[in-house]
Amino acid sequence: METQTHNSSAAVSVSGIDVSKLEKELAAMWQPAKNEDGTVAEAGTTRVCVLNLIVYAAQQEDRAEIDQLLDEVTEQTPGRSIILVADRDSADAKLEAYVSTRCQTSSRGAKQVCGEQITIEASGPVIETVSTAIEPLLMPDMPVFLWWKDIPHYEDKLFNRLVGLADRVVIDSLAFDHPHEDLLRLAEIIRTNPQFMLVSDLNWGRMTAWRSLVASFWDVDDYRPLLDQIDTVIVEYDPPDVAHSAIAPQALLIIGWLASRLGWQFLGQAPHSDGQTTHFTLQALGGREVKIELRALPDREGRDGWLASLTLRATQAGAEFRVAMNEAGTKLETEARIGDAHHVERVVAYEQKTEGQRLSRELGLLLRDRIYEAAVTAAAQLLAALSQS
Amino acid sequence: MSATVMDNPLRAGVRLERTADPCTVIIFGATGDLTKRKLVPALYRLVQERLVPGEFAVVGAARSEMGHDDFRAKMKDAVAQFSEAKRVDEEVWDSFAQGLYYLPVNIDSPDDYKKLSDLLDQIDRERGTQGNRVFYLSTAPALYAEAVKQLGQSGLVNQEKGWRRVIIEKPFGTDLATAKQLNRDIHEHLEESQIYRIDHYLGKETVQNLMIFRFANGIYEPLWNRQYIDHVQITNAETVGVEGRGGYYDKAGVVRDMIQNHVFQVLSHVVMEPPASLGAEAVRDEKIKAMMSARPFTAERVRNECVRGQYGAGSINGKPVPGYREEEGVPKDSTTETFAMVTMRFDNWRWSGVPFYIRSGKRLAKRVTEVAIQFKDAPHQLFGREMMEQVAPNQLVIRIQPDEGITLRFGAKVPGQVTRIRDVNMDFRYGASFGVQLAEAYERLLLDCILGDPTLYARTDMTERGWEIVMPILEEWAATKAEAPFPNYEAGSWGPQATHDLLASQGRRWRRP
Repeated sequence: METQTHNSSAAVSVSGIDVSKLEKELAAMWQPAKNEDGTVAEAGTTRVCVLNLIVYAAQQEDRAEIDQLLDEVTEQTPGRSIILVADRDSADAKLEAYVSTRCQTSSRGAKQVCGEQITIEASGPVIETVSTAIEPLLMPDMPVFLWWKDIPHYEDKLFNRLVGLADRVVIDSLAFDHPHEDLLRLAEIIRTNPQFMLVSDLNWGRMTAWRSLVASFWDVDDYRPLLDQIDTVIVEYDPPDVAHSAIAPQALLIIGWLASRLGWQFLGQAPHSDGQTTHFTLQALGGREVKIELRALPDREGRDGWLASLTLRATQAGAEFRVAMNEAGTKLETEARIGDAHHVERVVAYEQKTEGQRLSRELGLLLRDRIYEAAVTAAAQLLAALSQS
Repeated sequence: MSATVMDNPLRAGVRLERTADPCTVIIFGATGDLTKRKLVPALYRLVQERLVPGEFAVVGAARSEMGHDDFRAKMKDAVAQFSEAKRVDEEVWDSFAQGLYYLPVNIDSPDDYKKLSDLLDQIDRERGTQGNRVFYLSTAPALYAEAVKQLGQSGLVNQEKGWRRVIIEKPFGTDLATAKQLNRDIHEHLEESQIYRIDHYLGKETVQNLMIFRFANGIYEPLWNRQYIDHVQITNAETVGVEGRGGYYDKAGVVRDMIQNHVFQVLSHVVMEPPASLGAEAVRDEKIKAMMSARPFTAERVRNECVRGQYGAGSINGKPVPGYREEEGVPKDSTTETFAMVTMRFDNWRWSGVPFYIRSGKRLAKRVTEVAIQFKDAPHQLFGREMMEQVAPNQLVIRIQPDEGITLRFGAKVPGQVTRIRDVNMDFRYGASFGVQLAEAYERLLLDCILGDPTLYARTDMTERGWEIVMPILEEWAATKAEAPFPNYEAGSWGPQATHDLLASQGRRWRRP
């Protein structure tokens, strides 16, 4: 299968946005092409819609990346995509829209499954009100996802209005321009108004394999009691590209996840740093101290912001559980060791997904992810303590 | 989900897949086709997908002498050849292969079971598999009872240290008497909760989707009864012949090979009442209840409502193929049926008066398994008889394989000044809407067994009920000659003409899948 994009005959511009005209143009695109004698020239298309996806692009340059992303998304979750290209640097008022279809084709070239796309280009003062042009273009009563990579770390009316239209907002904390500030703002939104937006984080999706493998240690009856004896957690990570001194959101989220699930509390003991390692102390139920070490590794190509390893120790029992990514970033290796007598290792593939495939997976989730929200909240507590130390 | 998984606070959350207890899977018949084509590729995939823990091992057992490394090499080739990806990830394979063992076992040798027990204890110690075991019987069916007897006598299915489960491949008996005897034999050594009778049709996504479609949607169930449904057609068609299994197939025939197990499992999902819960026993109770209401076949019903057939030479996809009697291992005067059509009737409130037409056969025109629900005509012909005759009744088609999906056919106005009606199809296709590769049935079923969920496995009563229903057909056909001499349908056709005549006599026709 390969994906083809087909724009309307002339990418039609309309004054303001004429919804009925756009809908007519889209309907015309679904008509099979005809020969001169009126016979159908090519196989008909199958129109499939399982969702609405609003994609925000801050500049035209992002379009190529978005097009590639939507090719992959359409293949797995066809629906109506509305791409909003908002040029915030221009003072000229502009509002244009055009339509296109995006089809998967079989090896025989016959059209098979198509999603549809409306592109809106806006600049100047209309940006703040463009959400009112988007709402009537949504496919009725299908879920609405908003793909907006970054959480604006300031008040943004367009963001807030689009969030109001969406059932779920997809972000990517790996791409945060201000990792600590954005994570804190996200935690603040979750704390003060959890109904405002349900969040999917692509970065959280990247960590599913990690979380699954860590959890699988404690599925084993013999290891289960050791979970309540964990006293040391070491996380190694590659620092974010945009802010080398910042702790990678993946590292913060994995600790936030462990802390929120296992009831580890931050009780005010000031964190401290020595070189590339940040130390926190949490308290588990019953008063046990859990030492947390977040170690930044030297820069590695293409691994900015990624976890490198996670080690959990129950020192008194002589037990260590470790998950680590291999050098190539293609495998996860696990190791369970209890004293000298017991040692089990395994290697599993780390899912090699493109961003489009990751986004598609997020588009399959509709429920509120309370586990993620709790992890963000706990991670933000660490950040808040760090900023005060 | 097992209790240990539920107790794990890190397991909570929508994204984490169910994972299984530590365990060892022991495959009897490990040098056979099923092991290399399906079982080991499925187990490898479960490892790759992180659906089984690191504390996991697989032991191949068969008569041939072979070392662990030879077995590992053969299985690696098998995964490369038969897995969906057609390739092996070296690092993942090396990790998987560390837990892959082989032991020569004669199925009736107590000494060999002692050696097996020792090996499993060693694996428990070295790999932390905790005494949990799945025994998969992929041997010749005649050896099932002996294998279970030996497992019982050697203490290997004793559940004092870890759980023990046994998967039994089809065919489960060759008739009602042998199925009952086999059930008695295995119940001497196993609790019913330890027995997993596999029917790979139940592992297919679309068969499972029948439950979702019926019971997770509010709009279909009110229509799912005699008030609105005229009849149901189930087609289970293969284009292949006996594929080198002539000797086996000639003793079985299509009723034993396909209808009493696979087709009846699909049928029970269509006929059953909503279960009280999704628990294994609740679902299986409803399925057996539905099948218990199947009207018994009398000799008269077999003559009037069933059709048998055997293919002659013909062509499939433009390629000439031989007739059944020319296939290797098949006697030249064989009277075994390669096609059967049976009309099932259910004497209960929901289905009274609704015939279920079932056809299954080899060397048919197209490979397809589907359930077609044909609804009754609108009660009043508002648009005139002539116009209504141009449209077919509403039909809901659930395609189980290939191109899995659901189609609803209904009439729509043709645009224009004159009122004209045409049939249109509203299509849902798995591939188009979800864009994901459907999991192999064996993956799902093996995982369910490891998780201790028998919902998709056949219970004792269901296997015996399947035989009870078909025995009168098999007995009548064994005692009488077919109306038309065999072969009575051409390879590449849709079966004997009598199947079309039978439906036509009732004012109906087979749909073309």
